[in-house]
Amino acid sequence: MNHLLVAPLLLPLAGGALALLVRGLAAERIVGVMTSIALLAVAIMLFGVAADGAAATYDVGDWPVPYGITLVLDRLSATLLLVTAVLAVAVAVYSLGGADRRGRHFHALLQFQLLGVNGAFLTGDLFNLFVFFEVLLIASYALLMHDSRPERTLAAIHVVVLNLVGSVLFLVAVGCIYSAAGSLNFADLAERAASLPPDRQGLWRAGGWLLLIVFALKAALLPLGFWLPGAYAAADGAVAALFAILTKVGVVAILRTGTLMFGDLGLGPVLFALALMTLGLGAAGMLAARRLGGLAAHAVIVSVGTLLVSASLFSAAGLAAATYYLMHGTLATALLFLLADRIAAVRGAAGDRLEAAVAIRGRAALPVAFVLAAVATVGLPPTGGFVAKVAVLEAATEAGRAAAVFPVLLLVSLLSIVALARAGSTLFWKAGPGVGEDTEPLQVGGKAAAGFGIGLLLLAVGLLAVFAGPALEHAEATAAQLLDADGYVQAVRASNLARGGH
Amino acid sequence: MLLATVVLLPFLLMLLPAAFERLRLPPALGAGLVTLAAAAPLAWLGPEVAAGHTILFAVPWVPSLGLEVAFRLDGLALLFVGLILGIGLLVVLYAHYYLSDEDRNGRFFAYLLAFMGAMLGIVTSDNLLLLVVFWELTSITSFLLIGFWRGAAEARQGARLALLVTGAGGLALLAGVLFIGDIVGSYSLGAVLAAGDLIRADPRYPLVLTLVLLGAFTKSAQFPFHFWLPHAMAAPTPVSAYLHSATMVKAGIFLLMRLWPALAGTEAWFWSVSTVGLVTMLFASYVALFKHDLKGLLAYSTVSQLGLIMLLLGLGTPYAELAAVFHLINHAVFKASLFMAAGIIDHETGSRDMRRLSGLARYMPITAALATVAAASMAGVPLLNGFLSKEMFFAETIEVTQWWSWVLPAAATLGGLFSVAYSVRFVHDVFFGGPAEGLPRKPHEPPRFMRVPVEILVVICLLVGLAPGLMIEPTLRLAVGALLQGPLPEFSLKIWHGFNLPLLMSFVATGGGIALYFARRYLWALHDERTGWLSGKQITESALDSLRAGASLLAGTLERGGLRLSLLAFLGASVAAGVLAFGATWPVATVGPGAVPGTVWVAVLVLVLGTLATVVYHRERMVAVIALGVVGLVVSLAFVKFSAPDLALTQLLVEVSTVLLFLLAMYFLPERSPRDCSDLRRGVDALIGLAAGGGVGLLTWAMLVAPRETISSFFLEAAKPEGGGYNVVNVILVDFRALDTLGEITVLGIAALGVVAMLDRIRLPERALDWQGNPWAAQQHSLMLQVISRPLLPVALIVSLYLLLRGHNLPGGGFIGGLVTGAAIIIQYLAWGTAWVEAKLPLRHLALAASGIALAVLTGAAAFVFGAPFLTSTFGYFTGPVVGRFELASAMVFDVGVYLTVVGIVLAILAGIGRQHGTAERT
Amino acid sequence: MEALFAFGIGVLVAAGVYLSLRPRLFSVLLGVTLLSYAVNLFLLASGGLMAGSAPLTNQPGPWPDPLPQALVLTAIVISFGMTAFLIVLALRAVSERGHDHVDGRDTGDER
Repeated sequence: MNHLLVAPLLLPLAGGALALLVRGLAAERIVGVMTSIALLAVAIMLFGVAADGAAATYDVGDWPVPYGITLVLDRLSATLLLVTAVLAVAVAVYSLGGADRRGRHFHALLQFQLLGVNGAFLTGDLFNLFVFFEVLLIASYALLMHDSRPERTLAAIHVVVLNLVGSVLFLVAVGCIYSAAGSLNFADLAERAASLPPDRQGLWRAGGWLLLIVFALKAALLPLGFWLPGAYAAADGAVAALFAILTKVGVVAILRTGTLMFGDLGLGPVLFALALMTLGLGAAGMLAARRLGGLAAHAVIVSVGTLLVSASLFSAAGLAAATYYLMHGTLATALLFLLADRIAAVRGAAGDRLEAAVAIRGRAALPVAFVLAAVATVGLPPTGGFVAKVAVLEAATEAGRAAAVFPVLLLVSLLSIVALARAGSTLFWKAGPGVGEDTEPLQVGGKAAAGFGIGLLLLAVGLLAVFAGPALEHAEATAAQLLDADGYVQAVRASNLARGGH
Repeated sequence: MLLATVVLLPFLLMLLPAAFERLRLPPALGAGLVTLAAAAPLAWLGPEVAAGHTILFAVPWVPSLGLEVAFRLDGLALLFVGLILGIGLLVVLYAHYYLSDEDRNGRFFAYLLAFMGAMLGIVTSDNLLLLVVFWELTSITSFLLIGFWRGAAEARQGARLALLVTGAGGLALLAGVLFIGDIVGSYSLGAVLAAGDLIRADPRYPLVLTLVLLGAFTKSAQFPFHFWLPHAMAAPTPVSAYLHSATMVKAGIFLLMRLWPALAGTEAWFWSVSTVGLVTMLFASYVALFKHDLKGLLAYSTVSQLGLIMLLLGLGTPYAELAAVFHLINHAVFKASLFMAAGIIDHETGSRDMRRLSGLARYMPITAALATVAAASMAGVPLLNGFLSKEMFFAETIEVTQWWSWVLPAAATLGGLFSVAYSVRFVHDVFFGGPAEGLPRKPHEPPRFMRVPVEILVVICLLVGLAPGLMIEPTLRLAVGALLQGPLPEFSLKIWHGFNLPLLMSFVATGGGIALYFARRYLWALHDERTGWLSGKQITESALDSLRAGASLLAGTLERGGLRLSLLAFLGASVAAGVLAFGATWPVATVGPGAVPGTVWVAVLVLVLGTLATVVYHRERMVAVIALGVVGLVVSLAFVKFSAPDLALTQLLVEVSTVLLFLLAMYFLPERSPRDCSDLRRGVDALIGLAAGGGVGLLTWAMLVAPRETISSFFLEAAKPEGGGYNVVNVILVDFRALDTLGEITVLGIAALGVVAMLDRIRLPERALDWQGNPWAAQQHSLMLQVISRPLLPVALIVSLYLLLRGHNLPGGGFIGGLVTGAAIIIQYLAWGTAWVEAKLPLRHLALAASGIALAVLTGAAAFVFGAPFLTSTFGYFTGPVVGRFELASAMVFDVGVYLTVVGIVLAILAGIGRQHGTAERT
Repeated sequence: MEALFAFGIGVLVAAGVYLSLRPRLFSVLLGVTLLSYAVNLFLLASGGLMAGSAPLTNQPGPWPDPLPQALVLTAIVISFGMTAFLIVLALRAVSERGHDHVDGRDTGDER
């Protein structure tokens, strides 16, 4: 029994609890960073495990499927665990530069957030997914409010209320699905879905669509994404960088349930149309943004839109492009948030508002990092974003949807270029009187930490670009595995067979 | 391999100038060395290509997409590589002297090298996708270079404009390339060039052509995408000399030359390319007459010359292609030198305005001579290189039959006329005439080495003009051969072809141009009376502004719609989706409507009344809370009725705690909500509410009337034998699905953590009067409550422990026990006050909760020791002294963890808020 | 019986949704609480309704479906935590702005 599979859950839980118990910021930092690094190591190892072929499973409590809760590690969850872990290390280290001093319990809350995210990726059970969603949500609320600044309260209220109603809907969906099919385990549901009596199908379909809506809310898909820019822009920069993975949880949930259980519901075309509109709104928001944080938040929306445009094709090429883009987009938008945070700190009172303010002198690294981040976000060559864009466009052509996708995607790219060029020009070139007073002056160590965090993300983005070939091949294998619902079911059942059960 | 070095070296060594700067060496030296190093392999590669080989290099990058790092060096590429590296070296030298000390730094040369590398990449790319990669890289680097003097608004705007236009073109090119790849099946240049017929026959050909042309036209500043180039003149002059005359703007032309075998030869190609080229040539050369800025004139002249080359490309005959290549080379040479001369003038006099400059030949005779020669080449004066290619151009326009036979030559002559006019102006207004007055600097010759690049270029103009066969013919043959991928046309580069029509056209152009020059002031006067030019830049910027305003409106309205908009969208989507998805397939009712006892009717009635009361009185907060409590009570009773004792107990206790929370919080909230909504809004909301309620109600009914077979039979059977308990619900919670419970207590813990953090340093207003205006009693704590609470605590503790322990087999369990304990302790707080209780019962609430979670995790992790998965439980029977035989399950330890957590968080939250009452300020 | 049960849930949901759309956070809290009551009953119903029994196997059957009951218990506790968080958020809003309007605007008659 490979206990490694449950490590992504236990490590953050233990680490978070430990970070709460130790006294003093230094100890908290050590615990936080070490746990994140350990998590990265585990994620890398799990990636190796998943790359071998069939999915690996772990029956929590040693109860046979489908009576207990099973964790499933397939290529998709392994990929996401890895991206999350990289993000965690980058943000944890970056925060050593001062971001973790702004509020209380930053590192502990970071770990709890990771617990929720990892659990959501690994779980093979519908209600367990709900529980981990709640863990993820409450941790994100706590992170949003952790530094008790007034501007966050309103955004937090919006997010909490909206998600409370969302959770209610989740439970309604769970009830419908349980009533229709009689189980909560994904694999079991996938099997039962095929042989549902006709009079239960109404409930089944309703449950499926309601789930889609809940996941779409989390993923900030139009028309359910109005909350995101406000929330992310209000959040502290380092926290917002961490939030970059949260929307992807929603997307992955859609993909997982869509391929396994609800393949016949016709989710694809609706998702496609909504994703295109999401792209449009995201681009509009990027153009209209008045703060770099707001721009980055809308970049997240654009990335979700691109992701779902490709994924909603539910074809091998589309899902592969989506997987690759997911890796790149998450890291790139997180990078943008961290940069916004740094720039805001350096510019003093002007914060990250896109208006001419004090000059950012003598820091060559920041503009360079910004240019790289901007190029990566927009998807210009030679970054992985370009590779991802080409992959998406090719997938669309193959699926015959080129006429819809090409104009929208390319126009959105152009608008992003305009928005980011203007932002960069205003922030770095247009200088008002005076020189920036660093509101968070860093000692050498702090500066190194912030730089390391940003640098790690840059490195990751760069690696994804250089090794785009292998990465895309991995994405294709992931997509194939995702589309192979039977394979998933068999892998989950295999543990029962090993046990000698049915 | 060597080929890759040529292209990649500038990228890899981009930072060398910066390193040189650190070492107190001139960064230009570093840049120059890199350029030479990149050029060095050509010594081996060049002869090979000259001998007719094409050198290829390929390394896979993203095989799944068909993108590989592939380079090809053939005649055409070699020509361009030579131009890029050669002129690049001269520009580096020039820049060193032109830029001021603070400007000539590592950053500038790094950008320049990066651009050089990108440009090299475009011309040597053997994979179309790779070409697009480098294409966009040139856009990015040119953006950085144009905006180099960041302090000036024109520089910033010029940079953004250039990025917008060329970026848009680049995206169009990407689309076109993707389509080509789809048609041909590969992006490899070899395959694409061989598949010309396939591409031209495809129904998507017009689309492909349009997209590729968009890319080429934007990059090469053709009408109507030309307007970014004049604004790019805000860049430092070395940049203008390099990018905007010799290299980057030629990229579009290169693209069309490269793809000529694949795309050209159709009517569409002919008409679109030649028309655009023609219009550009005439329009830009006309506008050039009116520019008073040296660089402005040169910019429009460049646009016009590019139009000329484009026109030749469009005509499509092999001879025209040859002329195009020839003119491209010549133009690069003389235009770069002219830009540099303009830069020299600017550098030495401080002005670029031709109305102020005059008679500079007196102060800088050598520069004047050089500039004159270069300008003469531009005008097409014989014995210079420009003349030769212009003659070829004229000759070809006569040959073309598709236009009305006279239109093209006439237009060509006109274009030539204009170019003579502005060339004469450039030279005459600046260098001749009376002495200049009031120039910022006293004009003099520039430093020796600043002039050297100009000298070299001008010498080339002369040499090629005088002995073209020797100088340029081999190169030309090589390049055009690669372009055509076929046999070369007949041509001769003699200086004198006899008296023929082209020569006549040249005479007319020259004479007319000079005449026009002398009449220039009338022309200017004429022009000034009319309204100003339609500025492409203004159009673009106002379009962008309106776009931004629209975007702001859209995004702003939606996102500032407040919580309500998000909720409405969500609810609307859910109701719609639920109803549509459910469809009309109703389950067959197998459970008939049974007899409904009277108590149920009463309960439902109370429920409905209570709910209505909550809604109707929601603004009277106290009343609403009471009504809510009643509803909660009915729900608990419902749980009792429908066989869920654990749920009933939990619901009741949570209800009590929630009401307590509400009451504690209400103290600080306004006692009434104001009337905030219009009737319309209330109507809409009520409608949504009814729709949602109806939907869920129907779903419930659908669920209830048909039986289901679920996995629960397993739980019912296995709870005792494998889980060790009779209370199946509890066994599910702490054993079968313990991970859920673990997650749940973690949620509780985080919530408590968040609450405590938020309550820290909160400043809440306290009231001296209650809702009816009565002052609060001076006595803080109720005597009755104190009397009751004293014995309550130990009793409650015992009860709660009993509930905890029996939970595995009877209704009870960790949650319920914990809630009882928590409630009992809270009553102590209410009775005795925070300070008293915390002195007597010093508990760190959060620590208690954390220890509960830790206990649960440890219990689960203990399974590792036995090689079992996380949270595997075990149980056994033990005999104790008093109690006899009893059973212990490890899941019960888990339940204790749950118990501790619940106690901890209830205390943390309720006491946390309660504490505010003591410390709040009195208002 | 089933129809009554469904009716009751419908009423709770309708009221809960209506209140959640109100502009004052307090009313939203009331609405969200009603919604959670409704969904708890709903989940219970997904296993079918059985009166007069208990999921205790040491008593004679038939027994109700225990799994939805466990789910409801988890849901009740989780929403308690969330509600507490939201209430304290409301307190923060009041301490910062003096009122608990969900969009931060304290207007008398707002459209």
